[in-house]
Amino acid sequence: MTAPSISIPGRVEARHSRGLWRDAGRRLLHHGPALVGLALISLFLLAAVLAPLIAPFGPIEGKLVDRLQPPTGGHLFGTDLQGRDEFSRILFGAQVSLQVGVVSVFMGLVMGGLIGATAGTFGGRVDAALMRVVDVLLAIPGILLAIAIVAWLGRGLPQIMLAVAMTNVPLFARLLRGSLLALREADFVVAARSLGASRLRLLMRHMLPNALTPVIVAATLALATAIIDVAGLGFLGLGPPDPRTAEWGTMLTDSTRFLRAAPYLIFFPGLAIVITAVGFNLFGDGLRESLDPRLKR
Amino acid sequence: MTLLSVRDLAVRFQTREGTVYAVNGVSFDLEPGETLGLVGESGCGKSVTNLAIMRLLPKPAGRVESGQVLLEGEDMLGLDESEMRQVRGRDIAMIFQDPMTSLNPVLTIDEQMVETIRAHRSVTQDEARNRAVDLLGRVGIPRAEARLHDYPHQFSGGMRQRVMIAMALSLEPKLLIADEPTTALDVTIQAQVLELLRQLTSEFGTSVILITHDLGVVAGMTQRINVMYAGYFVETGPTAEIFAHPTHPYTVGLLHSIPRLDAEDDPLIPIEGVPPDLRSEPIGCPFAPRCAWRLERCWDVNPELEPVDGSRGWTSTSAAAAEHRVACHNRPTAEEAAAGRPLRDGFTAAPPPQQRVAQLVSGAPEREEELVSFDEGERP
Repeated sequence: MTAPSISIPGRVEARHSRGLWRDAGRRLLHHGPALVGLALISLFLLAAVLAPLIAPFGPIEGKLVDRLQPPTGGHLFGTDLQGRDEFSRILFGAQVSLQVGVVSVFMGLVMGGLIGATAGTFGGRVDAALMRVVDVLLAIPGILLAIAIVAWLGRGLPQIMLAVAMTNVPLFARLLRGSLLALREADFVVAARSLGASRLRLLMRHMLPNALTPVIVAATLALATAIIDVAGLGFLGLGPPDPRTAEWGTMLTDSTRFLRAAPYLIFFPGLAIVITAVGFNLFGDGLRESLDPRLKR
Repeated sequence: MTLLSVRDLAVRFQTREGTVYAVNGVSFDLEPGETLGLVGESGCGKSVTNLAIMRLLPKPAGRVESGQVLLEGEDMLGLDESEMRQVRGRDIAMIFQDPMTSLNPVLTIDEQMVETIRAHRSVTQDEARNRAVDLLGRVGIPRAEARLHDYPHQFSGGMRQRVMIAMALSLEPKLLIADEPTTALDVTIQAQVLELLRQLTSEFGTSVILITHDLGVVAGMTQRINVMYAGYFVETGPTAEIFAHPTHPYTVGLLHSIPRLDAEDDPLIPIEGVPPDLRSEPIGCPFAPRCAWRLERCWDVNPELEPVDGSRGWTSTSAAAAEHRVACHNRPTAEEAAAGRPLRDGFTAAPPPQQRVAQLVSGAPEREEELVSFDEGERP
């Protein structure tokens, strides 16, 4: 009889856990769509970092005789009104767009997260007071709020980042607060309390990891919108202080005047924005599934 | 020495619709090693009583209105939050109804158990882990060492409840509160989990408060029972005594509403009506509206818990029977308890006084709607 020693090959080892975040990282590496997303993001990250090395032309270098040329071997994506190489500008534009997107979402996440965590942890009057402030922010259309902030603090990349961050604060604050409030009375939180877990431990180990998932997903989605928001600000004349700066949104809005003559000018920056947005979305979705051990495949 | 002594505990909830009178002055004692059953319908205040003992009432709505909860003579209602945290887990632990939701989904069993042990004991990670493996083995988790690193969702319901029991007993608490520990489980698993609880708590000498709506569960597990209705204890006493001589109409009703294999011909007698709305301050006996034995007095005066002995057809001199107490103005006799209905000639339950009728009608709008929809033939 050999029956009693049944073993399921590989299973035990694969299940061995080394903590929430490391497990999540491992699951992420086995998540196909997330890897595609990661590859797309990496593509533009590399473009941003290596732009000075791989770009055939400088971002603001152009000859007027070459202006508005369709894509050719010499100019892969064609040239714009000033004869600048569109391909090079998209590579350099990745620097600005990714930087503004990531920094502004991160700032919004930190500010909104702190407000939401405070409100969700303490509840009661603290919650009511903070949420009314957030409601006021939420009542103002995002782009209007951003315009007001840039108009107030002046033009410049840090101001733009702050402005876009502020439009994201209410989103993150509300999201985190809602999750935390729901978790305060969750069975496993009460069970942990009944076993003597401290307030800090409850928040850090039991509530935040369970509340963060929707916030992380929202953050990756917000990255895509942040890049578009910057473009919107550029269109309204509140973009980067130097109008020559290569930035996808500004490039996009600049080219609308030549939609008929040079449609490729709107196509490539648009494509860059779409690809980055899709990349972040895929990655965010994968992250959400990786962070939830119940969805483990 | 008495382990836990609850005195006149009253719990209120403040809600937008008004005050909820959840627990209305209950008292009981628990000796070391004893298992006490707390029986009643959903919403009668069983769980709230125990959340109040643990000081885990949902804030800010729930609060203890009055009373004392003495654990080995010390009033727990006077402890501050950090002292209370020490009591939880170390002195009193809890098992919850739904094992599917009472473990943190994002932490492995290892993390949750080691964390619990180390929150109260100054031991190393490895010592805590060894203890966890030992406990998981004792609650019957196969391959405990490997399964320690699994997440809760990788366990079945019964296995999760075993994990909960292992966690609750990991610090060898003096008191274990089991809140409907088997309600969410399959019948076959129920028996196993109950047996496990019984075995481990007697091994550790742990006292248990077993909350349930299932009289079958308390019958085999407990030494004493408190029958609870609408926030009051209506009958208390030794388990065998209460099963043999139920003396409150509600207990009689509960016993007659469970099917028995040995009495095929006895029809089940359901308890008519629904429990009272706890949002109004109780007047009279809370069970009166559903009681077949009610007198006029029952509508106005809530009876106190009083000793049973000698007042019925049977005489009892044993010490066990002397502890049997009941809150009823018109106690069913032994024959009536066996039949499940009043047998006296010409006896009818007293109709409610006029001013109560209006109250009762306005307090039960859902039932009226239900009747209307029946008339329109919308239901099969």
